[in-house]
Amino acid sequence: MPKVSLTVNGKPASAEVENRTLLVELLREHLRLTGTHVGCDTSQCGACVVHVNGASVKSCTMLAVQCEGAEVVTIEGLAAPDGTLHPMQEAFREYHALQCGFCTPGMVMSAIDLVQRNPQGLSDREIREGLEGNLCRCTGYHNIVRAIAAAQQVMHGKVKELPRAAE
Amino acid sequence: MTGYLRPATLDEAVAALAAGPRTPIAGGTDVYPARIVAAPDEDLLDLTAIAALRGITADAAGWRFGAATTWTDVIEAALPPLFDGLKAAAREVGGVQIQNAGTLGGNLCNASPAADGAPNWLALDAEVELASAAGTRLLPVCDFLLGNRRTARRPDEILTAIRVPRPEGRARGVFLKLGARRYLVISIVSVAAAAQFEADGRIASARIAVGACSPVPVRLPALEARLVGRRADPALAEPADLAPLAPIDDVRGTASYRRDAALTLVRRALAELAR
Ligand SMILES: Cc1cc2nc3c(=O)[nH]c(=O)nc-3n(C[C@H](O)[C@H](O)[C@H](O)COP(=O)(O)OP(=O)(O)OC[C@H]3O[C@@H](n4cnc5c(N)ncnc54)[C@H](O)[C@@H]3O)c2cc1C
Ligand code: FES
Ligand code: FES
Repeated sequence: MPKVSLTVNGKPASAEVENRTLLVELLREHLRLTGTHVGCDTSQCGACVVHVNGASVKSCTMLAVQCEGAEVVTIEGLAAPDGTLHPMQEAFREYHALQCGFCTPGMVMSAIDLVQRNPQGLSDREIREGLEGNLCRCTGYHNIVRAIAAAQQVMHGKVKELPRAAE
Repeated sequence: MTGYLRPATLDEAVAALAAGPRTPIAGGTDVYPARIVAAPDEDLLDLTAIAALRGITADAAGWRFGAATTWTDVIEAALPPLFDGLKAAAREVGGVQIQNAGTLGGNLCNASPAADGAPNWLALDAEVELASAAGTRLLPVCDFLLGNRRTARRPDEILTAIRVPRPEGRARGVFLKLGARRYLVISIVSVAAAAQFEADGRIASARIAVGACSPVPVRLPALEARLVGRRADPALAEPADLAPLAPIDDVRGTASYRRDAALTLVRRALAELAR
């Protein structure tokens, strides 16, 4: 079987996979990084979103062998080694942007890519449009949008601390 | 186990196809969802490492869109108003992650009747560039798309680029689509239009194509002819102009609904061109 070597969350990783193995299977079953979820078989739900070479992609829509030499970041790679959450994770917690949590890893990965690509800042409407590839069955999206709007201020250095959610 | 090849040059890629059948893959966004249960059992040829297949270039004759150019590349490229329609299509293909991976070439080769790229290429008068070990040939997009999931691509050929000729004078493109929701759905109807204008604002020539209402997107020649020498105006479109369409009834809508929606979108496209 072919061997694929790549960087996952800053560490080298390699695995023997079949050609047909999907990136999400490599992450979940070979590397045991089960934070990346699978919610559909049509590439629609976005639960599986990770970053490959800096861009958000659906890991159910890419073969593992296509990631030879690539830099992959998953939800497990966001928090600092001391456990400090990424501002986007912190904002999802503060703004109650999850209920069952199934969509959350993909939502957070998509949201970070969206914010990073838009240093000018995003309106609520632009955030909603940027999240069209991620489905959530629980929250109604409202708090997800609020969380991302708050997190972008921290990520762009506009504020030092995450604005608190209103009581 | 399946054979997987990821060449870095076009020469290696066409040599591999000349040696035997292989399914090309680019973004994989059409290939994998269709197969995720029965994972691909054929030999694969991954085109994503061939740098020469990706990117948009321009010269005096026109523009060349490499087949592996992604929808995100189109959104981020500096392009004239002629490509406003193509950019609008790019922004609404499947959401950001699909735009990051999905390519122009994959969209065209997949030849879905509802592919959002196809009507745009017809409106832009585009040609495809096909390469094989035997050489390169050019084909107008209308001759490339043969039917539902059927193209004129031979199994030993790779689509290398889509070329758009440079129009004279001011030109603009428009694209509108109707789906049950804005993203992540297959278009019920799509309309692409491109017009070249005289200095006084009248239309010198126009091409209007409708997608998802026939096995391949089709142009509306009667309407295109009527527009010449006039100012764009929604009132110029008549129900009889839609004669080339052959819409079907399916879960997304009935044939008569599609016809009705197509006329509405064509009129909106004309209103857009008039602005
Ligand atoms: C959730 C979701 C939403 C989507 N939304 C839309 C939408 O709104 N509008 C739309 O039009 N499409 C949509 N699509 C379909 C798809 O994303 C696009 O058509 C995309 O552009 C396909 O490109 P690709 O590179 O991923 O193709 P691939 O899947 O890599 O390939 C598609 C086909 O083309 C062949 N092929 C690819 N490149 C070449 C080449 N250079 N030479 C020869 N053959 C080639 C492959 O063999 C395959 O048969 C959606 C898909 C998903 C999963
Ligand atoms: S698992 Fe649903 S988009 Fe990947
Ligand atoms: S929190 Fe349950 S699906 Fe989004």
